Amino acid sequence: MANIAAQRIQREFREVIKSEEVAKCHIKLELKNDEYTELKGEIAGPPDTPYDGGVFQLDIIIPETYPFNPPKVKFITKIWHPNISSVTGAICLDILKDQWAAAMTLRTVLLSLQALLSAAEPDDPQDAVVARQYKEQQSVFRQTAKHWTYIYAKGPHREAELEAKVSQLRGMGFEEHKARVALSTCDWNIQRATDHLIS
Amino acid sequence: MYRQKLYASLKQLFKKNTMAEAAPSSSGAPSSSPGASNSIPDEETNGTYDCNICLDIAKDTVVTFCGHLFCWPCLHQWLSTRPDRQMCPVCKAGISKEKVIPIYGRGSTDNKDPREKLPPRPSAQRSEPENNSSFGNFNMGNLQFSFGIGAFPFTFFASNFNLGDARPGNPSAGTQQHQEERVLSQIFLFVAMFFAIWLIIA
Ligand SMILES: [Zn+2]
Ligand SMILES: [Zn+2]
Repeated sequence: MANIAAQRIQREFREVIKSEEVAKCHIKLELKNDEYTELKGEIAGPPDTPYDGGVFQLDIIIPETYPFNPPKVKFITKIWHPNISSVTGAICLDILKDQWAAAMTLRTVLLSLQALLSAAEPDDPQDAVVARQYKEQQSVFRQTAKHWTYIYAKGPHREAELEAKVSQLRGMGFEEHKARVALSTCDWNIQRATDHLIS
Repeated sequence: MYRQKLYASLKQLFKKNTMAEAAPSSSGAPSSSPGASNSIPDEETNGTYDCNICLDIAKDTVVTFCGHLFCWPCLHQWLSTRPDRQMCPVCKAGISKEKVIPIYGRGSTDNKDPREKLPPRPSAQRSEPENNSSFGNFNMGNLQFSFGIGAFPFTFFASNFNLGDARPGNPSAGTQQHQEERVLSQIFLFVAMFFAIWLIIA
């Protein structure tokens, strides 16, 4: 790995460890290897969003050309958000692509992702299904996102009604996560979700 | 008079330098923790002179027009990574190789192997201060002036115009020299008019 990349990650790592966001448990950063090429990030779901109270883990890969090129970041924790793929965790965020600037750091990336959770951009979606729901069925979207936060990100808000529907499909022999995806995609209409799963 | 000006500009230069030296320590003081001693802390400095790309103390330092500090090798690599979109890594202002200013501190890195400095840092631009050049002309103006008086009244108009036109560099408006000359030429004009009227009456 290029010397500047490793040296910078070391400094950034120290910066994040000392930052007040860490003190307030808003963001977290962990090294996955000694070469400073892979890290695990963690952000808290921002208040007044369906992600409130959840903890979202991120996979961070540092390219050799860092900081001249952005880090590769994706969600490990499953999340229901217009700009994050519900399947792969891939993120659509301009600063991780063409708007990256060499003075940005892992701390600014984590804080930007947190801001993305507060303010989705459905017109520039990563997940078209979620983006459609966000635009057309805002309340269903919020319920779904809250449910996913509870199930996958240790969120505090249970959505009993939605859980019951997932159990119903599980009773029909479908795998839990697949059932949840089908129901989420079909705005929690059991009939349509079942058709979706069979087809 | 030349000496006086030189002294004044030296004094100004000196004042600037001491101000620049005083600035970091005064601005750094409040941000350091209250318990910290006055000795220079290496890791805990507020990073005023850290490169915005490698986050280390800047080497071969350059500053952009938007005021952001970098090592030249770092900034050069950033600019060559995206040749189509040349922007400041901090504030995203438009920048280019020509639009950065190198910083030369006292403990400059001249003893460093120049090969390590590739690509070369852009050079600074330096223009001569304008005040000095108008000084050489001052005496010439006086000479023409006295000649004008000697040949009066027949060369009055010519000499009067010479004062303004023949000299390459007029003293710029507002300077002391400019005002002195204005007063002199006004007095001269009055005297000339007096003589002219006297000639007509007589
Ligand atoms: Zn640098
Ligand atoms: Zn800038």
